[in-house]
Amino acid sequence: MSDTVTINIDGQNYEVAAGANLVDAAKWHAGNDIPVFCYHPKMDPVGMCRMCLVELGTPGRDRATGELLRNDDGSLQIRYFPKLQTACTTTVSDGMHIKTNTQQVIDARNDVLEFLLSSHPLDCPICDKGGECPLQNLTMRHGPQASRMYFEDKQLLEKHYPLGDLIFLDRERCIQCARCVRFQDEVVGDDVLAFHERGRRLQIITHSDPGFDTYFSGNTTDICPVGALTTADFRFGARPWELNEVPSISPWDAAGENISLSMRLDRDFGGKAMIKRVMPRQNEWVNEIWITDKARFGHHFTRAEDRLQQPQMRTGGTLRNSNWEAAIAAMAATLQGADGDVAAIAGSGMSNEDLWALRQLLEGVGAGRLGAWPPTHDAAPHLEQVGVGAGTNLSELGRGDAILVIACDLEEEVPIWRLRLKQAQDRGAYLVVANARDTRLEDFAVQGARNDKVVEGDAIRYAPGEAVSVMRDLQKAHPQIAERLSRAENLVIVAGAEGLSLAGSEALAAAAANFLIESGHTGSANNGLLSPLPGANGLGLHYLGFTPQTTLNIMQEPPRVLIVAQAELLDDDPAAQQWLSQVETIIYAGLFDDGISQRADFILPLQSFAERDGSFVNGERRVQRFYTAQGPMGQALPAWKLFGGISQNAGIANLKPSAAAVMLELSGSVAAFQGASYRALSRTERQFPDVGGRDLYYGGTAYTNHGGIGLQIPTAADRGADVQRRDMADVAELRAGEGELLIMPITRLYNRQRSFRPSLLVEQRILNPYALIHPDDAAAAGTIDGDLIEIVAGESKVRVRASVSSEIAAGGVALPRHLTDAAVPLSASVGTVSRVTDAVAVR
Amino acid sequence: MHILLRGRDIPNIKQLDVYEAHGGFDGLRKSLAMTPDQVIDVVKASGLRGRGGAGFPTGVKWSFIPQHEPIKYVTVNADESETGTFKDREIMEENPYQLIEGSLICAYAIQAKAVYIYLRGEFWDIGEQLDACIAALREENLVGENILGSGYDCEVYTHLGAGAYICGEESALLNSLEGYLGQPRVRPPFPAQKGGGLYKEATVVNNVETLANVPFIMTEGAPAFKAIGTEQSAGNKIYCVSGHVKRPGNYELPMGTTFRELLYEQAGGPLHDDRPFKAMLPSGGSGPIVPLTDEVLDTRMSYEDCAGIGTIIGSASIIIMDETVDMTWVASKVTKFFKHESCGKCTPCREGTYWLDKVIDRILDGRGTADDVKRIADVAENMAGTTLCALGDFAANPIIHTIRHFPDDFAQHVQA
Ligand SMILES: Cc1cc2nc3c(=O)[nH]c(=O)nc-3n(C[C@H](O)[C@H](O)[C@H](O)COP(=O)(O)O)c2cc1C
Ligand code: SF4
Ligand code: SF4
Ligand code: FES
Repeated sequence: MSDTVTINIDGQNYEVAAGANLVDAAKWHAGNDIPVFCYHPKMDPVGMCRMCLVELGTPGRDRATGELLRNDDGSLQIRYFPKLQTACTTTVSDGMHIKTNTQQVIDARNDVLEFLLSSHPLDCPICDKGGECPLQNLTMRHGPQASRMYFEDKQLLEKHYPLGDLIFLDRERCIQCARCVRFQDEVVGDDVLAFHERGRRLQIITHSDPGFDTYFSGNTTDICPVGALTTADFRFGARPWELNEVPSISPWDAAGENISLSMRLDRDFGGKAMIKRVMPRQNEWVNEIWITDKARFGHHFTRAEDRLQQPQMRTGGTLRNSNWEAAIAAMAATLQGADGDVAAIAGSGMSNEDLWALRQLLEGVGAGRLGAWPPTHDAAPHLEQVGVGAGTNLSELGRGDAILVIACDLEEEVPIWRLRLKQAQDRGAYLVVANARDTRLEDFAVQGARNDKVVEGDAIRYAPGEAVSVMRDLQKAHPQIAERLSRAENLVIVAGAEGLSLAGSEALAAAAANFLIESGHTGSANNGLLSPLPGANGLGLHYLGFTPQTTLNIMQEPPRVLIVAQAELLDDDPAAQQWLSQVETIIYAGLFDDGISQRADFILPLQSFAERDGSFVNGERRVQRFYTAQGPMGQALPAWKLFGGISQNAGIANLKPSAAAVMLELSGSVAAFQGASYRALSRTERQFPDVGGRDLYYGGTAYTNHGGIGLQIPTAADRGADVQRRDMADVAELRAGEGELLIMPITRLYNRQRSFRPSLLVEQRILNPYALIHPDDAAAAGTIDGDLIEIVAGESKVRVRASVSSEIAAGGVALPRHLTDAAVPLSASVGTVSRVTDAVAVR
Repeated sequence: MHILLRGRDIPNIKQLDVYEAHGGFDGLRKSLAMTPDQVIDVVKASGLRGRGGAGFPTGVKWSFIPQHEPIKYVTVNADESETGTFKDREIMEENPYQLIEGSLICAYAIQAKAVYIYLRGEFWDIGEQLDACIAALREENLVGENILGSGYDCEVYTHLGAGAYICGEESALLNSLEGYLGQPRVRPPFPAQKGGGLYKEATVVNNVETLANVPFIMTEGAPAFKAIGTEQSAGNKIYCVSGHVKRPGNYELPMGTTFRELLYEQAGGPLHDDRPFKAMLPSGGSGPIVPLTDEVLDTRMSYEDCAGIGTIIGSASIIIMDETVDMTWVASKVTKFFKHESCGKCTPCREGTYWLDKVIDRILDGRGTADDVKRIADVAENMAGTTLCALGDFAANPIIHTIRHFPDDFAQHVQA
């Protein structure tokens, strides 16, 4: 069978992909916009709205012989259906003819629109969707000029129905297209919306508690073809035509979701450009047209009152407001006078340009210790070797392919990966999830039927701390699973760090790399390793020489002068107070003060991702740039400018005029970034499906990518290097002794991290501090579900509520980071649990 | 002679021993001795057509089931929700084993391992009776494993709906049976195809009355069945007569009997002798209304003849109205029904039924204009042919045809 078929649209032949949906094919190949409401190119067709009616014919065949029938002139006889047909439920076939411009079709479009508008409130002037509304646009293109419906006959319904904390439903505007229901069900797998009642009473409801319980709810507002779904964050905030779209990258996790910041000069922000909302920006390799609610609703920290805004310097023992000139000069002097005993710890929110400037500065003062924060994941060296091959697109994984996810909780760590891997499984990929506890993705990793599809998967539950040996010995302990993974056409392994020490996370990645190398799944697209490194630029840190081992080394042997850049050490590390006390001078640059101002000699305000240009390297090694959008906060500077300024003052190098110039130098100096000029990073191409602009009606309000699809750094395997297995005879695993448990810090997407707290909308969704503990372990500790317990591990001592459940294997305690004010251990550590008898209420 | 309403001829045929004493399960026995294909051929040759409304040839439908598929189902449509229809109910109440036997023959013919009888919610008592029948049949090895030692296994289950007309539409019925919202599915794939039936497996959906004919066809042979009725409409049909006649009720008569014979000879003519017939809905609310003229009265009740007078025989729920009935009121009543029963899945039907109802109310209230009559005719025309399932067409029919045949009934309500 050939890969293309020929179809005829309005008299013209087009060659289109065989098996394509007719609406898609007409749009992509013929530029023919068949209007749709319910159809969405990312979901199965349902034929509900009837907007896409066309005249449809296929070549006639002789009943007896099956021969194609021909006219006298030899052309094929086309048999048209007597009734109009819905294009969205039609798959193209060779010789198919459609007519989209006949009176019958024009009338049908007009009629369907008239029907839709008959119950529509027509409150466009106060509707958030007004200006970018498919119903509005299609009415302009195809609709009736005047209403024949008596105004008083309209049905009046609820206009502000909260579907949970984030999304409001306007029941009058809803046109019952079910896009929102189907998105939650088919795409996300969080089946929390549904239709209730029937006929004109048909209504969208949520049946989860809390309402609309999912990390992806905002996307429904993009694909809702009317203004029925609006976000609590943006509604009534601005009109779309007042907004200026600036391409950006989500600052939260390794996915590197492409986003668009909708900006307006706003009186609420002193007349400066302000983020009014965050929208998805299409990048089919990265996030398709979806973003997480955290990316969408978590932008408030960029304007938080408690952001650092003024450079401060300690003089005479007191921290005082200063100015950049003085502070930079003083720092240059301090660094030059440190005899090279300088180290830096940089957080994963630092852009590549920032890291480069910081590294130059350190090298310039004869220092070399560059630490990455947080020092929890050490898979990067393996990602550099055998990370997913260049050109990888998780949307291409499907039948015949396999995915192993071990020691992580992607729902909480990199939600977009979890969504895309679940969809890969829907397409037929075999999904294995291994962990010491239940995770959301594990719910999907079963054999069975889901939404009429047969899905394949397995779950492996191992004892806390055992991830490395499970991965290493997969062949022995789980031969059938290992066999299926090895035999898969394409294999992606996602290795995290849950329940592991830093060294353990490196060993796990090594074991995973071994498996990939052995089974031949390296060096090509859709094969290789991924790891949910925390933050947006975990891999940028690696490629620029900032490593978590160095951080451990810095913690053990603190330098005389320590530069801390965008790393909240005190919030994250219970031991930080102690080791920081051995540092003579602390230079702290960041967005928030986590208490370090008590100790630091310099406090320097940095700009957030929204205020400046820069680039991050995502978990798939894609270098992606973000653009200046928001007005600056106080005197904050981009980090590259701050560190470049110090370098210039110290005579090390000249300050570059722009982030672009920093990138030019960096791309010429660091091999991984070769060719990654801003111009190259901004390259775009047409992506399927078409979104935004004229195509709102089709793909939704995700923005067309004008900012660049980025550039993927090839792995060693991609470049043809001979990647070698590493012998892993013995690995040191954490073992809890008698009366002890393995305390495993875990990540929750919604937490009380300083940068997330200002997004008050989501506050309700942040859980109270808790720890998950197996019933046997709870019994041994003399505690029951709901008790206040104290967990002690190393320097960490936290009090949380016990959540007793066999969702976790015995021997381990899952303790979420950043829910409590006190820091939980950085990485998995051995510790104890006891019931608090002098119970004091927590939160 | 009754083929279907045998409860009227044979007391207690709803008991298994009585049913068996009168030839019950001979049809199944005979079928089990044949190959499945032979059974399908007999049903094809009989000319039996679906009694659920569309009149699709039953044997042909069975032959669509792909033989190589390992899993297949039979679903009995016992939703009987069409306005004025009460025939399936009498079959199931008075002659239940015949339905089950017919279903088992169908199941054998397509090699299905399970039969689901989908009953409208209000039929809970019939459901209980059918469950008792199934239990009795299990005792006799007529349901379950290795039926009558033939090596063929088949289970029969009943399922109660929750009270929705749309769940009589076969794909909505399947959704409801699977536990989803009762809304029609996109077709193709059709129920008989893999991917379109129950749990996405190939499925025959047949009406109760359709299947209740099958035992007769198997015992008496296709020619005996074909001999009854007309060329294109074989067999007996149960006509559910209601409205302004002296003797409303179910009448089982050969297809091709004239309306006149049914309405005058059987049903006793107009309820009030001084009030002649005015109009008839021959297929409940869903078929086009016709004036009861002599031409119509002399029409034979068959699929082909009814098409000739611009209506359908459908499920033969014949609602008779005499001259006192205002057709605007009829249009309103029927529209209210469809507005209430529209599933809401597709735009023209969901919005159209609501809109029509509002404007007809206005007309009946005396607030309407001649333009409003045009408006509803136009709205109904726009609904017809554009919806996802036939309910949209059904809902358009009463408006289009009442206005076409009885313009004066509308004119009297509106200012010129
Ligand atoms: C709105 C709607 C309602 C229907 N209701 C019924 C019903 O109550 N009972 C029935 O047997 N068929 C009903 N049908 C017809 C079924 O869809 C289907 O055609 C029938 O069950 C097929 O069986 P048959 O071939 O034996 O007639 C309905 C169809 C539509 C469109
Ligand atoms: S809320 Fe929007 S997306 Fe959901 S059914 Fe209504 S119109 Fe469609
Ligand atoms: S025509 Fe009516 S009943 Fe049928 S699918 Fe559409 S809305 Fe539902
Ligand atoms: S029916 Fe085709 S787009 Fe809605």
